[in-house]
Amino acid sequence: MFNEIKQRFATDDVEVKRNDLYKVRIKYSRLFELMHMLRDEYDYKTLNAITCTDWIEEGHFALTYMLTTEDRKYTFMIQTMINREDAQAKTLSHEYKQAQIMERDLHEMYGIDFPGNENLKELSLESWVHTPPLRREFDTLEFVTNHLIFREGREDNVDTKAETKRLRAEKKAQKSKDEEVKDGK
Amino acid sequence: MEHNGFLLEQKTLEGDLNSDTSHKNSVDFLMNWFRKRSIFVLAYGTGCGAIEMPPTFTSRYDAERLGIRGAATPRQADVIIVSGYCSYKTLRRIIRTYEQMSNPKYILALGSCTVNGGMYWDSYNTIKKLEDYLPVDMYVNGCMPRPESILEGFIALQKEIGEGKASSWKKYEENYEFYRKNQEAILGKKVEPSYDADWYLYDGGL
Ligand code: SF4
Repeated sequence: MFNEIKQRFATDDVEVKRNDLYKVRIKYSRLFELMHMLRDEYDYKTLNAITCTDWIEEGHFALTYMLTTEDRKYTFMIQTMINREDAQAKTLSHEYKQAQIMERDLHEMYGIDFPGNENLKELSLESWVHTPPLRREFDTLEFVTNHLIFREGREDNVDTKAETKRLRAEKKAQKSKDEEVKDGK
Repeated sequence: MEHNGFLLEQKTLEGDLNSDTSHKNSVDFLMNWFRKRSIFVLAYGTGCGAIEMPPTFTSRYDAERLGIRGAATPRQADVIIVSGYCSYKTLRRIIRTYEQMSNPKYILALGSCTVNGGMYWDSYNTIKKLEDYLPVDMYVNGCMPRPESILEGFIALQKEIGEGKASSWKKYEENYEFYRKNQEAILGKKVEPSYDADWYLYDGGL
């Protein structure tokens, strides 16, 4: 199987991660061809998950499609890169029903568009108008500081870590003092 | 008579309750006594703290011996427990539920998440300080609070009710603008969730 993939798709990036888990990196344009090949010839019939990683420095998203065989013994990860600006990928929702909700989730969290998927409404957020929250340019801390009210700290406002250290040192000093007194006796 | 075992526990728990003398007249005293001894808690949970509520109300900790029991709908309930972090989406539902409850009504907030955000202090999707959005009568801290702490929180609340001090619903009515402003700041102009199930039908059900 690996040789066939290597030859047909002109890639060397096939990895055996575990004896039941394989991974291949491939160009986006050949992605669906490979998926169909795995499904039709090697029994990888189930789409488990579509995950996304944000490579902001390189300017792309890495989409990983996880396929599993019908007997649930082997898993194949197919990774592909798509452009980060106006990210777009073809929908799989007509071939795999479960892809519909996975794509909806990716659309909500990363802002990836899936033309052809008929329901890309918000899934777990509600009336979200800011940057999709899992994109890395979304600064969570800054957002929280600007939008929400924090409770002020305790009145004494001590740094608990420093305070613990100080107390411990004090205790130690006291102990050695006590011991000295004892020895003196 | 010497108490031990659960009788001792009960006595310790209730000790504070029977000793309040701060009532103004006997009608007030009676009203407050009735109120504190029959607290109906809305069966509603948010966040992880909700998992501590079933043991509190069932045989192991048995809150009913103190007059605390569950209620099925907001209209029948006296207390709503906000049992952990609230995301914006949950907050909408809590606000609607709270506004549906009839007076007198009280809020018991569980867990550090309701106090200051807890471990979700930098999460973009949860509120940090519940009392800015709804009036809180009693906080129970801990992550998560054990049923014992929840019971103690209830006793403290009952004591306040008995003394006529717990009046957060009045505070909510008097300072409604303040609360509404804070709610709108994060939830937008339309604070309440919509009633219809369009979203569900639109998605073709589950
Ligand atoms: S306080 Fe702790 S247990 Fe409670 S909701 Fe927050 S994280 Fe969960």
